[in-house]
Parts: sequence; structure tokens; C-alpha cells
Amino acid sequence: MNAIDPRVHQALDGELSPEALSPELRRVVEWVVTTAAVLAAPLPLASLEPRVMALIRRPVPSRARRLLRWLATPRSITFRVRPVWSLALAAVVALLTLFPIGREGPDIGEHEGIAQFVGRFPEAQSVHVVGSFNDWRPGSIALEDVDQDGVWRATVVLPAGAYEYMFVVDGERWVPDHLAERLVADEFGRENSIVIVRPARR
Amino acid sequence: MAVTGASDAEVVARVLGGDREAFGLVVRRYEAGLLRFAGRMLGSRDAAADAVAESFVRAYRHLASCREPARLRTWLYRIVANRCKSHLTRRPIADVSLDEAPPVADPADTEVELERAEQLALVQRALVRLSPEKREAFLLKHVEGLSYEEMASVTGERIPTLKMRVHRAREALLRVLEGHE
Amino acid sequence: MRLWLGLALCAGPLAAQSARARLEGRVPGAAVPVVDSLVQRASGEGLPTEPLIQKALEGGAKQITAPRIVAAVEVSLGQLRDARDLLVHAGDEPPVTPGEVTTVAWALRRGLPDPVVERVLAALPRPPRASAMHAVADLAAHHFDPDSAADLIIAAIGQGLVRERLLDVSAAAAHELQRGHTHAEALALVRQELPNVPTSPKPTRSAVAKARRPAAPPPP
Repeated sequence: MNAIDPRVHQALDGELSPEALSPELRRVVEWVVTTAAVLAAPLPLASLEPRVMALIRRPVPSRARRLLRWLATPRSITFRVRPVWSLALAAVVALLTLFPIGREGPDIGEHEGIAQFVGRFPEAQSVHVVGSFNDWRPGSIALEDVDQDGVWRATVVLPAGAYEYMFVVDGERWVPDHLAERLVADEFGRENSIVIVRPARR
Repeated sequence: MAVTGASDAEVVARVLGGDREAFGLVVRRYEAGLLRFAGRMLGSRDAAADAVAESFVRAYRHLASCREPARLRTWLYRIVANRCKSHLTRRPIADVSLDEAPPVADPADTEVELERAEQLALVQRALVRLSPEKREAFLLKHVEGLSYEEMASVTGERIPTLKMRVHRAREALLRVLEGHE
Repeated sequence: MRLWLGLALCAGPLAAQSARARLEGRVPGAAVPVVDSLVQRASGEGLPTEPLIQKALEGGAKQITAPRIVAAVEVSLGQLRDARDLLVHAGDEPPVTPGEVTTVAWALRRGLPDPVVERVLAALPRPPRASAMHAVADLAAHHFDPDSAADLIIAAIGQGLVRERLLDVSAAAAHELQRGHTHAEALALVRQELPNVPTSPKPTRSAVAKARRPAAPPPP
């Protein structure tokens, strides 16, 4: 590891005068300054003012524009999903009602429904879903990859309502549900997915 | 009444008082730096334009929650930094497009301009190889010129954490760029 | 109990008192008293407290620093106040119910402009309105113009569709987009189908059989 001499860091942080450094160390300081100067070139872009002011005067949900771009752009992060397929699958995940319940399955209350969580994580060792339905407790709802095909699933009984959530992959990587059509800012610089659980009995 | 010479606090007060058009001054004042920051973070001009435009709209809608209008600049950087992180969550580093690559050489370009474009491409490629946290720290400190106190306000991180990130970013960039010499 | 509360959203003092117990150990210590005081403040204003507690728990789970958690909870409180003000402006008699504040806060967070939210509130003078709001927001998320989206959902309400069936309306419009129609065409096609839009697909019996409840949280 090429550690830079601490005095260089001090000089760059304004805690030491560069004049107090040897010529060799001063060159390192100059190199950082030069690198920053290269990056300081402005981006060759037209002013955003017309676009921003038009949006302010006639508000359009920015979420819509991002989602449209998401739908139009091939994805290759953890899986490849065509927008057409993602809409259908998201519809299944997000909008569920039930057949009348027979003896199979849990007893579903009048104001409860079912949420199905699906995600493709071929390299994962574990996948959990964490959200406002389980007080954001990592580890309490595990998805399963029964077929070992990289597609992880969980079906959960929840009170009817709207919830925010994310997947947690391998206990540490927080990922939004790429199949969910509904996204909302989490106020921490990221986005949560939203699931709406419909009552089972209607 | 002209607002062009007004302080940030005065402009914010005007906008909150109902003068929506005064927000255009905020955009004109800060878009260059914010676009540059977002562009270097995301490695894409288009993504940067979208991120910064959306950030401005968000800033306008939540302007009342800017607790220190005199430090509007820091507040705006925080919104853009968060939006960049959100973008990078959806599109990790490997997927970031590098449309900052030098354009096809035009015979009219001077040698100096070509060299500058190549330097920028080289440094941008090295920057993209840093983790988002280190990249952000280096850009805020050395390109956008924020103090560590301002950076703490932008990122919510403690100053010692930020210093360590900046130090490691310097070392990582040196390592990558030395490989090219 | 209202169907769309999701989690218990009692804004009473009991819920507010239990905030600290739920936060401790889950949220950085420095944030707990500040978040607790924000929860108390919300409770005192008759606003729902659960969204604030959830936001803090979320921040703790995501290992966010205390100042940023506090900032996020403050933003959430601001959103709830905005929602309450919108409800009052739209004609709901104060004190507005916490459940409706949550519903409108959802609509605003999902990007619906104030006037569109007010139009939906006007079309549904009494709760529940959550499905209607989410249906309009779903359409907006598919880049339908929010006013046109509201037009469609309000038309569906006028044709007697209620609650979750309104989500079927927005799903139908999204489906038409998927089939290659323009936004205008999709809206027109679905409007023609009202009130007989298809119901959403149901899960298979085997999926239902596998359904389980989340593990109970450990005792405090």
C-alpha cells in the first residue's frame, strides 16, 4: 500500500505549510493539487435553469421520470429483466388477492393479506426482506431459493396496508426490489420499494 | 426589484415569501459546481444533469426545511450527494458510463486542448475506481473546496471519518495514476 | 380498525410512550432522546407517530449516523404536517384522523402534486382514500400526467369502484402501456372498460400454502 507521508496530508488539510516540506513531498502535494485542478474543469452542459424552472412551475413527479428511464434501460446489475416482463411480475408481486382459503396455508385474518417477495440474486448466500412490516429488523423474514436457480422468494402474511422495504443480501448489502414498480425516497439518500398488501377476503 | 446581488438568505426569504421565480438565481449560482460534482461522482454528464435538476426541484419544494439559509450551498450539496448515492446504488461502479472520454480528435483542436482532455479522461477513470465514499470525500474537499465542517454537514459523517476518507482517496488515486506513468 | 392503517397507527399517548422502548438498542443512543421528543411533539399535534418511529428504526437498521436519522425523522414530521394541512385545506374537519394523515403523506411522498391530492380528496369526501391515492400515484409512476391519472381514478369512483378495485384500474392502464399503447390511448381504453376492469391476478394455492408470518420480535 502506497501510504502518503502524513506531512503531505497535513499540508493538504491546511495544518502545515507546504514550505515546511522537502521538495519530494512538495511534489506530491502539487500532484494532488494538479489532479484536483484537472477535475475542476466545468462540465460542458447547458444551464439547467430553464428545465428546473419549468418543472417548478408545473410539478411533475421526478420519481416518474426515473422510473421511465429505469423501464427503458436494460438492466445488468444482478439480473436481466425486460421492462415488459418486469411490469407483469411487479403486478403479481404488488397487487395480490386470494382464492378463498381452504385447509392449506395459514389462517388469514379479515384485515390481512399476502405479500410475495421475489428477487434474482444468483450469487447470494442469503436474502432477507426488511421493512416497515417487521420494524426494519434484518433477519426476521428470509427468502428461499428452493430450486437453486438464483431466484429467491418469500410469501408473507401481513396486515393490509402499504409498506416500505428493501432486500438485504448476504446480511450486508441493502438493495431495492428491482421488480417493484413503486419507489420512494428513504431520506437517507436511497430509495425503498413499496408493497401494497390487499385484504384477502375481498 | 433585482435580486442578482442578494445573499442566499435573502433569496431564500424571497422564494418562501412567494417569489417563485427568484429560485432561478439559486440555480444559476450553484449549478456549475453541483453539475461538476455530480458528473465526477457518476461518470456521466446526462446522469449528472438529471440528478442536479431533480435536486434543485426537491430543494425548491423543501426550501422551508433549510434551517440555515446562509449555508444554502452546503444544503444543496447534501441533496445532490444523496441523490448521487441513490443513483450509484441502482447502478454500481461497473455500470457507470464514461462519457467523459475525450471526443474524437478534431484537427482544429490544439495540442494543449487534446492533452487536457486526455488528462481529464485519465483522472476520471481513476476516480471512478474509488469507492463512492472516497470519491465523494475527495471531490468535496479538493474540487468543490468545502471545509471539513461543511463536508460533515453535507454527508452527516464525523470529521475524523471524512479526513480518513480523503487521505485514503489521495493514496488510492496516486496508486492508480502511478500505474499509468 | 381501518384496513389501510397497516401497522397500528394510534396517535395516543400510549403509543408515544412506547417509542423510547422500541428505539433503544436499535437506534444510535444519541438519536433516541431527540427522536423521542419529535414523537411526543407529533403525538401532541394529533399526528401519527408510527411513521416517525419506523423512520428511526429504518435508519438504525441501515446503520445511519444519529444526526442523519434525526434529520430524516424531522423531514418525516414535516411531511405529516404538510399532509394534515392539505387535509384541512381540502375540507376535512379538524382534528383530522391520523390514518388519513398517513394516507395523504404517502401520496405526497410518492410525488403527487398538492392540487391532484386535493382533487382526489374532494372526490372521496370520507375515508378510506388510501387505495385511490396509491392508484393515482401508481399511474404517475408510469409517467401518466397526474391530472389525467386523477381523472381516471375519479371516473372509476364515479362508476362505483372502491378501495382495492381502484388499484386494478391503475394496473389495467399500466398493462395497456405494456402492450404498446400510448398514455392517452391507455387511459381511453381503460375508461371505456369501466367499471369492468380485470381484477388483479391471484397467487397460486401452493404460494398461499407457503405463506408465513414474520418472526415475532424479541421481547424488549
